[in-house]
Amino acid sequence: MDFSRGTPCATNINPEPLNHRPSHNTLKRQVTDQLVAPRDVLNYERPIKKLKSGQLLASQGMDKRHPSSFQQLEKLGEGTYATVFKGRNRQTGELVALKEIHLDSEEGTPSTAIREISLMKELKHDNIVSLHDVIHTENKLMLVFEYMDKDLKKYMDSRGSGGQLDYITIKSFMHQLLQGIAFCHENRVLHRDLKPQNLLINNKGQLKLADFGLARAFGIPVNTFSNEVVTLWYRAPDVLLGSRTYNTSIDIWSAGCIMAEMYTGRPLFPGTTNEDQLQKIFRIMGTPSERSWPGISQFPEYKSSFHVYATQDLRIFLPQIDQVGLDLISRMLQLRPEMRVGALEALSHIWFRDLPQLRQQQAQQAQQIQMGGQGSMMMGGSSGGGYGVPVYQ
Amino acid sequence: MAYYHKKCDSYFVEFHEDQEKRYREELREHDRRQKWQTQLAIAEDLSQLTSCEYRDDVLQHMEMMEGKTLPDVASIDIQTEIKWFMRPYLVDFLIEAHTAFGLLPETLFLTINLLDRYCSRRIVYKKHYQLVGCSALLIAAKYGDRKDRVPTIKELKQMCCGLYEDDMFTQMEWHVLQTLDWIIGHPTIDSFLQMALDNVAYDPEVEHMACYISEIAMFQRDFVSKRPSDMARSSLALARCILSRPQSLSTEWAAKYDSDTLFTLSKQLLRPSKVLHDKYQAAHLSRVSIILEDVLARQASTSRCYGNAPPTPPSEKCSEGFGNFSRNEAPVTPTKPSNLVPSINNGCPTPPITPTHDEYFNVNQNPFKTNQNPGLGGIRRPPTPGSLPPFQQQAVPFSLPPISQMAPIY
Repeated sequence: MDFSRGTPCATNINPEPLNHRPSHNTLKRQVTDQLVAPRDVLNYERPIKKLKSGQLLASQGMDKRHPSSFQQLEKLGEGTYATVFKGRNRQTGELVALKEIHLDSEEGTPSTAIREISLMKELKHDNIVSLHDVIHTENKLMLVFEYMDKDLKKYMDSRGSGGQLDYITIKSFMHQLLQGIAFCHENRVLHRDLKPQNLLINNKGQLKLADFGLARAFGIPVNTFSNEVVTLWYRAPDVLLGSRTYNTSIDIWSAGCIMAEMYTGRPLFPGTTNEDQLQKIFRIMGTPSERSWPGISQFPEYKSSFHVYATQDLRIFLPQIDQVGLDLISRMLQLRPEMRVGALEALSHIWFRDLPQLRQQQAQQAQQIQMGGQGSMMMGGSSGGGYGVPVYQ
Repeated sequence: MAYYHKKCDSYFVEFHEDQEKRYREELREHDRRQKWQTQLAIAEDLSQLTSCEYRDDVLQHMEMMEGKTLPDVASIDIQTEIKWFMRPYLVDFLIEAHTAFGLLPETLFLTINLLDRYCSRRIVYKKHYQLVGCSALLIAAKYGDRKDRVPTIKELKQMCCGLYEDDMFTQMEWHVLQTLDWIIGHPTIDSFLQMALDNVAYDPEVEHMACYISEIAMFQRDFVSKRPSDMARSSLALARCILSRPQSLSTEWAAKYDSDTLFTLSKQLLRPSKVLHDKYQAAHLSRVSIILEDVLARQASTSRCYGNAPPTPPSEKCSEGFGNFSRNEAPVTPTKPSNLVPSINNGCPTPPITPTHDEYFNVNQNPFKTNQNPGLGGIRRPPTPGSLPPFQQQAVPFSLPPISQMAPIY
């Protein structure tokens, strides 16, 4: 489309008369003019291949990529580097989540945004929130995500009973969480910030991983990374001990903490500082020694003055948990990263064996309920209601 | 006397403290080193576990992604302003910048990939070529490197001698991201190399030599559209060949190299860019550029002894390692007419200082004529000053923080 309107090639490519040195300002203006508006860029630096050009132009359809094509509704939350709003596509009426990232003119696009967007483009999975579009305006970046009703934290709070979830819901959520994690790991991505606030739930009972702002690709062998990752309460002990070489097991620890939290409604290790966090973990899991964890004294944050606690039975803290579930969670909450179960292995744990059956029963029940009061579960209606009984898919 | 005594006393006390301090520091340093060693051992264990569990999946994903993120040489061929002979200058510049900022090895490969992919999709002006390169470097660093290593726009601007304004970097960065549809996760040659070397004993010389070879290849048009996995395997095989190390077992992933790629690679080793040569002279990169030079020189002299006509030394070398090359006539015809790249060879030894007006002028008449847009190529004229390449001003040495000597921790 822009081709037809484009000014003739020759004038664009050599706009200055021969042997005339343009003043710096003209040059600058001329250069920036070419860079500013996407529309102009298409005229000047247009796609080379005829075949590809259509594709490129289509992907830059102005109507779709303009922020005004979304109606901004209430604020859903504020992240570390972004604000999330609920939004509605004016054309289709579809609800979306709009993540607005403020752009700093000094450093350009934030690295978190570059990582998040490029990784999410690679990760298309039912248990990972999908990124519809990226819109760029003068001073902000807007990521358009599929709309999810709540995060797990709010979901638990909304369920009364002190935030505790029922057995089937926990099992279904854990299964979906591990599926999401396994998919990330298979595609060489570490999430590095798993916590209830970053797990989104919709009213179909689906759970999806969100907020890949701290995520990054890993290689084999694993590289050294920053240990300033994961919210303190869900941070693995090896990372707390100062390890900079961690692998997929870092996400598994977080998943274990989340599982416990779904049972009790409270975080399992609510530490206040790095040291306090370690102490809270040791108080339950027992203080490791060179005997139980060879090499532990070599960790940067290891102190021989750690208070020595005996290992406790997790069942004391999770009275509702069954024997098989206890086995799974204790495999995930291993202090030593190399002992922690992998996501794929966890998915084949016998605890999940009866999940299809349970889901079927649940679906039947839900169908009965739906027969009674139809329409209350419709998308786009009031987001507060309609939670009722989740249908597990 | 008292004066002396006093001075002596205080001197002694200070000395004593110094000694103790130094001793304590040494202890601490020793302690730190030991901890680091243990950390490395732990990391190795963890890597092995991850490798066992995810290696196949990760490899499969990487091979899928490399196909998705290959630049297209044919599209770059039809660029109207930028030409292949300019690219080595830009690559040299990017290598220097990359080294100066102390970025991860993979960041360099990613930068070049982003640059070439952008150039496969958009017409780029000569005067913007360096800007695109800088933006690619910026994006690559943001993607993979530690936050405090990522170059600031101010630093980049300084590196380009103020040729571009601050906002041009942010705009170009955005434009590159959008053109590439935000798909930055290109699996680099380096990452495949790491994977191939994952389950063998650590041999820094081989690793650095393979890296050096793949960076030499980075300058050549022939390899732009080659798959990084292919490049990694071939570079590794060639590196082992040069260093007389045993090759991978035939069952391994690394053993499935393409002998054509390997042969073409071996012909590029003679005249590496000076910038690259200097970079690999460093001790922490095992001084592989010097090793390679020695090996090649030794070979050249041996072949002279045999009195044979001028066989290319590397291919001769390969003939020792691989029987299949021995019968190859020296210069195998490249897939593309070779007159497309000759000035690359001219340009390599002298960067980062740029071609003079003359070179640009001459270029308009000779080898590239065939390749040029007919509307422009026919006109013989001096380039407009405004559109002179930015490299022109680069003769000024970098005024940046010194290259970190050792950067084992990223």
